Amino acid sequence: MNMNGNCQTQRSRRSQSSVRFLISACSVCSALIVVSVIASARLYADGEKIAVFTKNQTNPYFQMLRLGADNAAKQMNARVTHYVPTRPDSIPDQMSQIEDVITKRPDAAVFVPVDFKAVAPGLLKMNAAKIPVVNVTDRVEKGDIVTFVGLDDYSVGLATARYLFKKMNGSGAIIILEGVRGVQTSSERLRGFKKALEEFPNVKLLASQPANYQRLAALTVTENLIQRHPNVNGVLAANDSMALGALEAFDGANRKVLAVGINGTKEAMDAIKAGRLLASGDNNGFVQGCVGTMAAIRRLRNLPVPKEVVFPATVIDNTNYKTYDILDSQRVCPKWETVVKP
Amino acid sequence: MKTLAYRLIAVALIGVALSFTTESFLTVANVLNVFRQASLTFLIASGLTLTILTAGLDLSVGANVGLSACLAATVMQSSGSVALGAATGLVFGAGVGIVNGLMVTLLRLPPFIATYGMLWTLNGFTYWFMGGDTIHGFSPGFRALGSGYWLGVPIPIYLMLGFLLAGAVFTRYTTLGHDVYAIGANREAARLSGVPVRSRINLVYVLSGAMAGLAAVVYLARLNSAEADIGEPLTLPAIAAVLIGGTSLFGGVGSLLGTLVGALTLTLVVNGMNLLAVDASWQPLVTGVIVLLAVWIDVVTRQRAEANA
Amino acid sequence: MRRVPGIGYLLVVLLIVFSVSGSGFATAANALNIGVQSAVLLLLALPMTLVIMSEGLDLSMGAVLSLAGVVLATLLMNGRPLPVALAAAIGVGAAFGLANGLLVVSLDLPPFVATLGTLGIAQGLALVATGGQSVVGIGDALPALYESRLLGIPFSIVIALAAFAVFRFALRQTRWGAYVSAIGGNRESLVLAGVRANRYHVGLYVLAGAMAGFAALLLTGRMSSGHPTAAIGMEFDAIAAVIVGGTSFERGKGSLGGTLVGVVTIGVLKNGLNVLEVASSLQVASIGVLTIVALVIESFLQPAARRAWRSA
Repeated sequence: MNMNGNCQTQRSRRSQSSVRFLISACSVCSALIVVSVIASARLYADGEKIAVFTKNQTNPYFQMLRLGADNAAKQMNARVTHYVPTRPDSIPDQMSQIEDVITKRPDAAVFVPVDFKAVAPGLLKMNAAKIPVVNVTDRVEKGDIVTFVGLDDYSVGLATARYLFKKMNGSGAIIILEGVRGVQTSSERLRGFKKALEEFPNVKLLASQPANYQRLAALTVTENLIQRHPNVNGVLAANDSMALGALEAFDGANRKVLAVGINGTKEAMDAIKAGRLLASGDNNGFVQGCVGTMAAIRRLRNLPVPKEVVFPATVIDNTNYKTYDILDSQRVCPKWETVVKP
Repeated sequence: MKTLAYRLIAVALIGVALSFTTESFLTVANVLNVFRQASLTFLIASGLTLTILTAGLDLSVGANVGLSACLAATVMQSSGSVALGAATGLVFGAGVGIVNGLMVTLLRLPPFIATYGMLWTLNGFTYWFMGGDTIHGFSPGFRALGSGYWLGVPIPIYLMLGFLLAGAVFTRYTTLGHDVYAIGANREAARLSGVPVRSRINLVYVLSGAMAGLAAVVYLARLNSAEADIGEPLTLPAIAAVLIGGTSLFGGVGSLLGTLVGALTLTLVVNGMNLLAVDASWQPLVTGVIVLLAVWIDVVTRQRAEANA
Repeated sequence: MRRVPGIGYLLVVLLIVFSVSGSGFATAANALNIGVQSAVLLLLALPMTLVIMSEGLDLSMGAVLSLAGVVLATLLMNGRPLPVALAAAIGVGAAFGLANGLLVVSLDLPPFVATLGTLGIAQGLALVATGGQSVVGIGDALPALYESRLLGIPFSIVIALAAFAVFRFALRQTRWGAYVSAIGGNRESLVLAGVRANRYHVGLYVLAGAMAGFAALLLTGRMSSGHPTAAIGMEFDAIAAVIVGGTSFERGKGSLGGTLVGVVTIGVLKNGLNVLEVASSLQVASIGVLTIVALVIESFLQPAARRAWRSA
């Protein structure tokens, strides 16, 4: 038994070794191939090179922004490269990407900072490297920028909240779903919400909780809050994902509620059409990506660019959603002159 | 068994404390609410429990849920068939499990980093596949799976009870189940006594992946949409649930009922904090303390048992 | 461990592929970038190597680093001198390290669980203290120090390499090094020699926490601010660097040199993917695939005896 046992182990060990050698060799080869394929996968176009920085790969808002940037670049015959942190919303990742990008000397940058304060050194580095930067969505705290393109989140929050409260006939009870604590868009929108509450003294705020701009978190929080506050009439959410998550919670409890979000995503449009979502504050990532990229290219071509391009606070509801409800594949960048009045 | 009793007492104590501090806790609606939320965590954590019982680990479960959900949603929408989509999710989840299992058994990679690499790989594919899009709008019949009721009880709870039962039978009364514990307790001894270690380990990783696939379908029903970041926040609570439930990372000790108790504990914490309007920033801290306390109970009980033996 | 770690081969392949792609990878400026970007990770991975060699791990390092960064930034913002602020940051880190050490050694909790718990506590404290906001206005002293160079080499790289040298020397040439090497896998020898193994074991976790606190110097300098979630997930990167570098959870065998190669490889990979303008989703997938490939290579290169032992 011992002799056979040993032989068995030796033979299987040798064949195991060969199998594993083969697998390892194949791994190295495939690694080589993967890396080579990656190395050769590039976008080519003539014209200016624009580096576009966004926060993460998962939020549909930033996807629209990137699409807008691509669209604008194609129209104006420039080339865009996207840089997104591999770890979502990671400050060190974005800092590293900025440094890596600087060595490649792009002509200009379109920049959404992961954190409007903490990535300031990165912006300063781009300034030092004489790369013109257009700041989009989150207003950076310091550093030189060509222009800021985005919302006045406070105004959008205010307008959206006012809309909800008017539809509630100025009285009732609401819950607020905040975004990510510490993120600029989130705190500014919340400030707008709170201001609207001051204007409507008969609207009572039952609870205000962050839900990280994410649907599942909003769903869970709302389910819990409904237990505590059975008489909620309205939900004020800082973005559409959270608004829709909250709606799922109310659906599950077989209750109706008036809910508003912000962003005007495709899903929000569908929900408005279907009468589930009351309204959504317009925050058009696509257009911001367009305009931001156009501004960068215009600066490079010595065309005039205003100090900031702030989009008006508009609320999309079932009376005006048709203008905003466009299929992604059919979206085209607006003309500069329609967005920026001379 | 004793530690399970302590855990149940702990959960009960938390429940009692909450029912005194807020009157909205101890209502039928809220209790069902808590159980529904816990069932989803439990579905993921149950498969994970099996891998941890073999002294392994699967860090890719969250990402697996995410990608499986996105694939299932895509198939559901394009084919119009809920069944086909659900099957896709399940099969894909199990497929990921097969790869994980082979990495551990055939390539003999350390499970921690191997499944961590798988996590990144799955995320990359999810981002590429979804490209920031959302797939939304499923049929009410399907959505009932996640948010519906049957006989007044949320449907995910039935799933939870079903898998708890199945899991209990598996671990206690089947050879496969006994093998899993044996491998975790002492792998070499298990091998020498004839347990087909490799195929058992493959099995638990496949089960872990399949449960992730199943959970993906239920999450899809509950959220009524698929986005690339569904899976991101799911892994850590699943692991925490398993650990709080008394399963040891060294393998061989633990139970699915314990995992359920762990999932309940975590859900109670969030539920209680929401009801009490406690700032959400405190959640990681409270969760961290509970994890420490829960495992400490185990250690103390074990030490006392050894001292008395 | 004297042989080349498997990750070394992968590093060479990456360097070659990235360099010949003609995208500006192979420049001195880019090489310095890689160094600067990897410095913080190396500071975390060095003590992590020792912890893993002792058959443990520390999941709390990222959260502790973030918290220490917040502490450092807050003190600087309030006008405290840099040495004082840094001492406080290291102190916070060491305190968490002590907690980890006591939980693992005295209370006998599994390291995964203990450090998962302290991760939550550190993260919670940082979030509550800052409300999710960055702490800015830290003055010029730290940014100036961070941007300074020694013989043309950036401050962060100098610090990271110095730390590596110190750790290596301590591990190989001092009695302390001999003791901590023995904690994992050969603890009995220590006990027999009358050494208080537990003290050294706890000390390892204190060291890990203190290094996380010290790394806040570089991270805060880099961002000119402290942020409560800045370093989330870094501990996993550190663990990955250590494991692909050849250190193993199970047998207490480790190599600081391997860790260094692991950290550099991660830095090269991330930098190369950016410089080559690889699509973001593909970057994430590549990191996953190449992590697994690195493991396979390393696993293949390990002595046959150990492979046989692990076969089952």
